[in-house]
Amino acid sequence: MANLSGRRQSPLYHVIYIEREREREREREREHRIILQEVQMKGPYHKKALTNTAVKQKRSQLFTQEAQRQAALITDIEKIEVQYDGQPENCTLIMNKGMSTPYNCAQHINQMMMERSVLAEVDGQVWDMHRPLEDNCTLRFLHFRQSDPYYANKAFWRSASVMLGAVLESSFKDNLYVELCSYPSPNVRSGSFVYDVDLKIPEWEPSKEELRTLSGEMVKLSLAAHRFERLEVDASVALKMFADNRFKTQQIPQMAAQSTSGNTVVVYRIGDFVEVSRGPMMAGTSHLGKVSIVAVHPIETNEAQLFRVQGVALPRGFLLNHFAYGVLEKRAQQMNSGRLPLNISSTEPQTQASTL
Amino acid sequence: MNQAEIRKLIPAVRVAINAKHRKFSNPKGPEGRLTMLRKTVTELVKLERVELNYQRGDEARGYAERLIAMAIKHGDRHIPTMEMANYWLTEKQLVHKLFKVLAVRYKDHTESYTKLHKAPNIYPGFYRERVVLELKGNPFPPLEKKNSSHNWIHNILLEEAHQDYIRKKLKEGERSN
Repeated sequence: MANLSGRRQSPLYHVIYIEREREREREREREHRIILQEVQMKGPYHKKALTNTAVKQKRSQLFTQEAQRQAALITDIEKIEVQYDGQPENCTLIMNKGMSTPYNCAQHINQMMMERSVLAEVDGQVWDMHRPLEDNCTLRFLHFRQSDPYYANKAFWRSASVMLGAVLESSFKDNLYVELCSYPSPNVRSGSFVYDVDLKIPEWEPSKEELRTLSGEMVKLSLAAHRFERLEVDASVALKMFADNRFKTQQIPQMAAQSTSGNTVVVYRIGDFVEVSRGPMMAGTSHLGKVSIVAVHPIETNEAQLFRVQGVALPRGFLLNHFAYGVLEKRAQQMNSGRLPLNISSTEPQTQASTL
Repeated sequence: MNQAEIRKLIPAVRVAINAKHRKFSNPKGPEGRLTMLRKTVTELVKLERVELNYQRGDEARGYAERLIAMAIKHGDRHIPTMEMANYWLTEKQLVHKLFKVLAVRYKDHTESYTKLHKAPNIYPGFYRERVVLELKGNPFPPLEKKNSSHNWIHNILLEEAHQDYIRKKLKEGERSN
């Protein structure tokens, strides 16, 4: 080959070139190894990091599948007689066994009953509005303005906690994998509803704006007017749903053991947020009116740094002047005295703050 | 004669009364109106609970209140009062009821002797406001169920906040002592 440039080329030119190339290759390999080591230290290279959005979708999908499976089990529609006792007049309704809910009964009665009722009382037992009726029964509706709305208030407080859980799980960026722990048994007299949560942050003192944002998210959830869908599932299904939450995986077997059937737990869904709880819950998120998230207190456990998030709320339609509501908000800032979640890795028999 | 003395002569009516009376157009004129109201007042004293149109119920209420107040104040030995009772109660045995039953029943009352409840309109019907006029302390079951708001959620929260405040104040007091 003619050397056009006229420059003399060393006979070793190609060898030197190849040597240099190899050296570069080796360098690159070294770099790759370092990166790989880093990745291996962090976790499996091929696996995507867990995000709350993905986990939420998975749970909601499992919920839908299970609901469809259970609905498919009912092949014949049987009729039941429901004796309604209350306003505007007592009546008998013919409903579908295992399908119709107290809410459906209210739809037959009138709009006010539909919108106002928080819970139902079926044969004297407190019943969710969206829980199918199982047999002939007597039916009453409970609401917030009865002379003693004990169960409605309690369900309201419990539902507010669950809604707070839903907000906490969806409000943070995806790089923080928020794990919900539990909430103590709802007690209105304590002045605040609570959710204990592992935010994967060592320290957090939320600013006023951050708290207001959380409150705003609660309002959005309330305006979305989701129903509290109820489903009784086998513990194995629940464990599959909550496989990505280390607290719930511990709580589910205990809750299943305490249930009447011995192996089932109740899961609720609002929008696409799924929560395991014994219930009962109010009919829908739209019952939540004025609400504010007021405080976040750190809780030490021996495995994780948890936070106790607290808020106060009133049902829709309860008007309170801003001064009086301010008094309630101020009181809700105090650390709630409800039972703390257990030390997660303790082996001794524990008194767990189970999700009631 | 100044106002203080008028008040001594005529017992005050304990319900709000319109400045102008209702005319209730009647073929017999004002006399017919009074006949109508006498009928209502007599019914009320007799039955102790009557359902009426609002206008008639509200108008008759004032006359019934005045009659009872006079009976309590003057008793049955007072000629003008007896004349009033004779005029307003068309059934004469009710005069005895007025002095011997109602005057005794309401002797120590500090509020009005009658109560006016709103009554529901029955559909379809005439869209006149209906009311139930009753004498207080009648033997019938109560019309309005008392629904206490003591256990409503905001009242529970406010009550607990109040208790908290008292506890805090007591502690502060102990500390300063």
